[in-house]
Amino acid sequence: MQLREYIKTRQHRNVRKRLPDDLFAPEFSRLGLCPEERMTRRFEYMTSHETPVILPGELITMSRTLANIPDCFTASEWEEIRRDHFVHELGYGSNVCIDWQGVLERGLLDYRRSADGYGRRMIDALLDLCRRYSAAARAAGRDDIADVLDRVPAYPATTFREALQSFRAVHFALWLEGNYHNTCGRFDKYASKYLERDIAEGRLDRASALELTEDFFLSFNKDSDLYPGVQQGDNGQSMMLGGTDGNGRPVFGMLSELCLEAAGANMMTDPKINIRVSSETPDDVYLKGSRLTVAGLGFPQYSNDDVVIPGLIKAGYSPADAADYTVAACWEFIIPKYGEDICNIGALSFPKAVNDAIRRPGADAGFETLMKAVKLEIRAQADGICDGIRNIFFVPSPFRRLFLEPRYRNFGIHGTGIATAADSLAAINELVFRSRELTLAELTEAVDTDFEGKNALLNRLRTGMPKMGQDNDAVDKIAGELLDAFSSSLRGKVNCFGGCFRAGTGTAMFYLSHADALPASPDGRRRGEPFGTNFSPSLFARIPGPFSVISSFTKHDLTDTVNGGPLTLEFAASSFGDEESLCKLAMLVREFVRSRGHQLQLNAVSSERLRDAQKHPELYPYLIVRIWGWSAYFVELDRRYQDHVIARQEYSV
Amino acid sequence: MTGRIFDIKEFSVHDGPGARVTVFMKGCRMRCVWCHNPEGQSTEKEIMHKLSQCDGCGLCTRDNRTPYPRDPGACPRGLITLCGEDVTEEDLAERLLRYAPRLERMGGGVTFSGGDPIVQAEFVARVSSRLRDSGVHTAAETSLCGSADEAALLAENTDLMIVDLKLADSALHEKYTGMPNGMISDNIRLLKERGTCIMFRTPLIPGITDGAENLRALAEIAGGHPWEKLAYNLLAGAKYAMLGRKFDEKGEIGAR
Repeated sequence: MQLREYIKTRQHRNVRKRLPDDLFAPEFSRLGLCPEERMTRRFEYMTSHETPVILPGELITMSRTLANIPDCFTASEWEEIRRDHFVHELGYGSNVCIDWQGVLERGLLDYRRSADGYGRRMIDALLDLCRRYSAAARAAGRDDIADVLDRVPAYPATTFREALQSFRAVHFALWLEGNYHNTCGRFDKYASKYLERDIAEGRLDRASALELTEDFFLSFNKDSDLYPGVQQGDNGQSMMLGGTDGNGRPVFGMLSELCLEAAGANMMTDPKINIRVSSETPDDVYLKGSRLTVAGLGFPQYSNDDVVIPGLIKAGYSPADAADYTVAACWEFIIPKYGEDICNIGALSFPKAVNDAIRRPGADAGFETLMKAVKLEIRAQADGICDGIRNIFFVPSPFRRLFLEPRYRNFGIHGTGIATAADSLAAINELVFRSRELTLAELTEAVDTDFEGKNALLNRLRTGMPKMGQDNDAVDKIAGELLDAFSSSLRGKVNCFGGCFRAGTGTAMFYLSHADALPASPDGRRRGEPFGTNFSPSLFARIPGPFSVISSFTKHDLTDTVNGGPLTLEFAASSFGDEESLCKLAMLVREFVRSRGHQLQLNAVSSERLRDAQKHPELYPYLIVRIWGWSAYFVELDRRYQDHVIARQEYSV
Repeated sequence: MTGRIFDIKEFSVHDGPGARVTVFMKGCRMRCVWCHNPEGQSTEKEIMHKLSQCDGCGLCTRDNRTPYPRDPGACPRGLITLCGEDVTEEDLAERLLRYAPRLERMGGGVTFSGGDPIVQAEFVARVSSRLRDSGVHTAAETSLCGSADEAALLAENTDLMIVDLKLADSALHEKYTGMPNGMISDNIRLLKERGTCIMFRTPLIPGITDGAENLRALAEIAGGHPWEKLAYNLLAGAKYAMLGRKFDEKGEIGAR
């Protein structure tokens, strides 16, 4: 496919221009403009200075030609804001799912009728850019593109292609407004009807629909290099497939299949595919998903409706809204249109709670006493995190908010290093309280000196103690207690918007920084060694295989940790070369779901290839790996993230 | 009764029907030049060094004052391991039965591999029989290089025999595996007469087993039973260094 090669070889980036970084803020500041006015003026400038470019062979158009979006506020203004407010990450809107169904069904002119002044100006600016795109397409002899843009996103989409172009224009605008981690929602749920109508009326057949979907998926990769998160690839362009509709009927159908096939054909990181599954999901869905896993994209990621929906209802979401969940960016659950939750506002470190508890006076009285101390530390951390989030400041998004009707403004807190913490406590229980081989003070001393001169102890801790992931009931029970302590510490707390706090099992990037903030840990993790990703075994735990891992990580009821955070299973891609073994992989995913796991991501790569890619990055420009909830090109990652993926593989199943 | 294993691997996808748990039995009577599980050959326990993951921290030599410590506790990262674990039939059966519900849902079972399970035929038969009593499907993956009694014991107590076919010519068989194939052929005949469920398997070793003449002769032996041909992975020699041994010392693989 011509367009795919064009984008992979990055030719479309040649037309980009950079704007001066101080283009807006000093003037906006001098004029004393309010945040809404600043956002609107900036958007008007950006849309009117974008140059329409029609890429060779593309069907769905719009690419960024302005490489950067200069800030709306000066450095000293930010300093002042941060002095008085809690500012989440960059301060701009992120991680929510707009009402994509409304965008496609109503068209922007309908939204314009009820919009405020800023909203109307935003819509006018975007539609003006679309008109210029249409003219450019016509001039380039591409009447097909021009005709589509003459209808959408202004008017309701009437065909599949119009739906895709309407999505593209609005998604493009969300990024251009300065929002980030702009997720795609339940794509097959809201877009299937356009495809079905086109097929029924003969406008498309399966092959042409696939071509269109591939082209649409490429559009997510045109500008994704401009959307760096913590690392390149962390951009929240996640797409949810499957699940059930408002009447409880399964959504997975032809469009869902086309999406999996299109992702496999493109072999690019975006959009990141998620599939909602349940005990009712037919085997065929797992098989199709597994085919993509084995292709080596690090997705699909699976979410289990049997756990997530009851969990969201427990957290206060209405049953109908809970049943419509998607992911905000990586794996944090959010409700399209109605959720304005901040799913990643803080992170609690389980290993820190253990590290603090073993130093409490009297903690060595017995294991129960120690566990109580750990739970108190968890509560103290939770209190600290929640109390610190007051008077929050967000730059308003006058465009994005057109498509939101917030009902939920809950905050999500990650819980990091669960396996490191549970393994540490299991080791303490064994060596300090059961066999009494050493005192807690001696073990703490060994931790503080990074096990210097304590080789035998270190070896014992790392290889001779029970670990989460080995299906050991004792250590898994400890993990369950820690999770319960976390969720109960948040229960009843009310955030500054009147919402609740949701406990989660994700780590995001904290598997590095939370580990760096600690000395060694009693499970034998040495100073500087990271935690596992999200809800996963520690990196050096000796794991008999995926059955034990699944048992360990599904033993505890996960409906109370419904902020999300997947178990990650690592496989050697070479194991699944034939159709029969692929079916077995599909059965394994089904087994995870039936065991009531909440979320699962799978990596199928080879550590030899990854090592070789570190040595010869030029040979592996498109080698894709899964990081903590998103897929990335391996060679674009910082070394520590690369090393973490390799370590996960080497101890893998 | 006690047996000696060297690994239990969950979710093996190429060792019989469905998703399986594979038990690696220690000890094999053959010494195939292409063997990729050299730690399974000796019935003795052996020290292994996972050199590929060693970052040269030096802690092991500091304690032991030798460049290659033999003590499994010496490496703080656990890269020095003792290969070989003695287990009673009760304990092993109990460990494996823990998987039973999952294996049933995934259409799988337990496979005894190795090494070669025929070396510990009685032990394998006893464990397997316990598993089958609880409804678990079992398989043995073997060369059949053993006595007729051993072969029959395995066949009687498993649901499937996965039999390795290597070379039809006995002299060549002896040259490359260290054993003639007469006993093997007899045992195959025995199993066929018994009506045992058999699946044959042949590793395609370049220049050794993959010749047209050999494959024709093996096809005759397989005689209508399922027969899988496995492409050989040339990286298979990786484990030899861990045992302080050399892989394919005479350079026979691939030398036509």
